[in-house]
Amino acid sequence: MEAPDEQLMLAYRDGSAGAFETLYLRHRGRLFRFVLRSVKSRATAEELFQEIWMRVIEARERYVPQARFTTWLYTIAHHRMVDHWRRGGLSLVELDDQDLPGDSPDPARQLEAREALARFAQALEALPVAQREAFLLHEEAGLSIAEIAVATGSNAEAAKSRLRYAVAKLKAAVEDD
Amino acid sequence: MTDERDPKVSQRYRELGSEEPPTALDAEILAASRRAAETRLAPLVPPTGRRRWYFPVAAAAIITLAVAVTVQVERQQPDAESITPPPPSTPESRTDALEAKKDSAPQAELRKAKPAKPPATPQPLSRAADAMRERGSADAQPESRVRSAAEAPARLLGQVAKADSPEAALERIAELRRQGRHDEADKALAEFRRRFPDYRIAAEMLKKVQRP
Repeated sequence: MEAPDEQLMLAYRDGSAGAFETLYLRHRGRLFRFVLRSVKSRATAEELFQEIWMRVIEARERYVPQARFTTWLYTIAHHRMVDHWRRGGLSLVELDDQDLPGDSPDPARQLEAREALARFAQALEALPVAQREAFLLHEEAGLSIAEIAVATGSNAEAAKSRLRYAVAKLKAAVEDD
Repeated sequence: MTDERDPKVSQRYRELGSEEPPTALDAEILAASRRAAETRLAPLVPPTGRRRWYFPVAAAAIITLAVAVTVQVERQQPDAESITPPPPSTPESRTDALEAKKDSAPQAELRKAKPAKPPATPQPLSRAADAMRERGSADAQPESRVRSAAEAPARLLGQVAKADSPEAALERIAELRRQGRHDEADKALAEFRRRFPDYRIAAEMLKKVQRP
């Protein structure tokens, strides 16, 4: 049975570098995608991603498992993202380098799929920051509405409302295909 | 957990890709985490170069100062064994000494000199302790000095009563005679006879202590 995140973070706080490594490998992908889909460039995403983990490392002495580690991690990420948005404005999701889904040999279908994905990406990009963040925290990080509220410093009603609006808009984009 | 996911939206979102951070970035972050874990008990800004010796020197200085202050305080406290009872003295010198000490310990001296409470035996240690205790309150009670001056004869009489030797007591009685304080001298002489009933007063001294 795998050690819970909170236990690993406490072990790291007490000096276990191995515990952090386990924790990092467990969360690196989701956190990276959360950041990547909130900013303009991959380089910026990598920079922010690294900064978030550095903040986790710096904050280890103060870590108290009052909530899920994931909630704590994405609270730190939220604060870092807010700083970024305040400085540099909103972001775009770049799709140019992304692999296309499916392995259809039909170029026409491939083009159609690419366009559909682009529309979805645009819809995601067009979401208000708070709604997009709520969607990414729910969809990518797996946070509940209550946890989204904690991570973003809002209340459950607001978090739920943002998430519903976001999902409704994205659903409309998907159904247009 | 309330799931607000829409299957189609979730699927399309997954199609965006499952990007991951580059391995070089992973290595950097993990290296930073290991460094932090190794240095977790070190100060945030470790002393380097010339500052390296500041802490030991500061600690040594503080310890030395503390020891010096402690030793000094102990030296300044009166050593109980070194305090000896005041030697029997002439009334003049005794009076002078009392006057000189009035400034520092009027209350203590007043209490000691009162004839109403003559101590059975000399108590130099308690007297010194009294003097030290009451030194702090001396300045706050100026009226005690006036009272002390007014009670000077009584104090002299008390000295007679407390005199350690018959000779000293007689000297003090003679002093009272010389000062013309015959009533007090009579009382002192009576006290002397009570204390030293078998003492034979020399003729020359008898002239000095008896009422002319």
